[in-house]
Amino acid sequence: MSSLRELQAGFRAALLADDERGVAPDVVDDGLSASARLAVYRHHVFTTLTAALEATYPVVCRLVDRRFFGWVADQYVRVRPPAGPCLFEYGADFPEFVAAFPACAHLPWLADVARLEWAMNAALHAPDAPALEPEALRALDPPALARLTLRLDPSVTLLASRWPVDAIWRAIQAGADGVVDLEQGQARLEVRRLGDDVIYRALPAATFAFRAALAARRTLEDAVEQALDADPAFGLAGEIRALLDERVLVRPE
Amino acid sequence: MHPAGCGIGLRAPHVTEVLERRPAVAWLEVHAENYMGGGPARRALERLRADYPVSVHGVGLSLGSAEGPAAHLERLARLVERLEPALVSEHLSWSVTGGTYLNHLLPLPYTEEALEVLCAHVTRAQERLGRRLLVENPSGYLRFRHSPIPEPEFLSALARRTGCGLLCDINNVYVTCANLGGDAAAWLDALDPSAVGEIHLAGHAVNDVDGEDAARRTILIDDHGSPVADAVWRLFEGALGRFGTIPTLIEWDTDVPPLEVLLAEAAKAQRRLDTGSDVVAA
Repeated sequence: MSSLRELQAGFRAALLADDERGVAPDVVDDGLSASARLAVYRHHVFTTLTAALEATYPVVCRLVDRRFFGWVADQYVRVRPPAGPCLFEYGADFPEFVAAFPACAHLPWLADVARLEWAMNAALHAPDAPALEPEALRALDPPALARLTLRLDPSVTLLASRWPVDAIWRAIQAGADGVVDLEQGQARLEVRRLGDDVIYRALPAATFAFRAALAARRTLEDAVEQALDADPAFGLAGEIRALLDERVLVRPE
Repeated sequence: MHPAGCGIGLRAPHVTEVLERRPAVAWLEVHAENYMGGGPARRALERLRADYPVSVHGVGLSLGSAEGPAAHLERLARLVERLEPALVSEHLSWSVTGGTYLNHLLPLPYTEEALEVLCAHVTRAQERLGRRLLVENPSGYLRFRHSPIPEPEFLSALARRTGCGLLCDINNVYVTCANLGGDAAAWLDALDPSAVGEIHLAGHAVNDVDGEDAARRTILIDDHGSPVADAVWRLFEGALGRFGTIPTLIEWDTDVPPLEVLLAEAAKAQRRLDTGSDVVAA
């Protein structure tokens, strides 16, 4: 007879690795085999986790078709099962898994489309945070401002790709023609929640560099340096005003 | 506390409609883990709790894990502090082992060892939440060879030792007894009625399996994807006599129907609750 800890470890191996040796001897085998009974649980785990991944990655699912997606998801669940029960948090490293998945190697842009979908999912569920009011910055002198670490809304992700992932995302939506020119080049996107909606939009290179540095919790001085590297014509005052107007900044914790 | 009425499990496809229509339903139950982020889901629930009693039903605590419910209890506690629900419930099951969450309410051997684990975790949860927890019987698809304590006795002992309440899912009782051999009415008779604080009702699927035994060629799956079965309604009517008229919930999770269908199912349960209270009053 196994201890509870051993029994649960054996159950895990039966569900995720099809290895029933650890738990089957402890299961009553009457009419239905232990294996058939364990299969009921395994089926539920895989169908619900696949459904969760489909809900988070609907565009990837449509791009590769549902059966193929189900197969990728099955492989993913086996090696990267959830660490916690909130399913909207499951699948954060699915894009990396897709990037390394040999059967997806002919779709080099697929992992970046998945990154866009993860950013959209994260935006939808991000905590609510009150926007920073302009008065808070007006009180600071220039040296204090330079050392400041501005905080972006927790729903914001700055996403860069060498592929036009936004065009790919749009092309697969209902009513779109499904045609994308992959040669149109890279995307620099800001994904965020606005009200109840998740939106994304393309940013100019310097604005993207500036906001990405802020998202990485760099100081304002560092962020400006990054932005000037991208475009020497970068104008800080206008960019700060845009951040405040768009309510992208939130009050420090 | 809820009035003794029938509530519905609030699912994502119905949230907007419930917000707009505010249907006459006694209360709403939500799955805790769907509301642990921010955004529109959370805001909708904050609005609804102003108009309806809310019950928080957790699926993630893994009360039966040998390794314990870990960090998730903190998140549940924060949600409960913010929502101030009328009821908080969880399951007699486990999901976490080796740091992995297996996304299912997995079965326990009903042993003294498991009972001690459950008691410790329920006590810890009730202390952190500062309130009584209701613990629900799961649907069973297998039995362990060494599982000497019958399920209703196990639950009643858990309630006695920890002071927790019980959530009696009558569809789960029916499914478990059909799958594992057992009499559902006798199962309900063996449950300590004083501990039962909530009832769940739902539909189940009947699936064919390749069994060696002709009598066991079907297995019932607790998929919450259809109306409550007639046999389950009869068990519910019998249970009301024992448990009294207590908060009852209709759950529907797969092939979620129009809200109207769910409300009609809740009205069927409400009629039985009303009849039950007449009987008690007489």
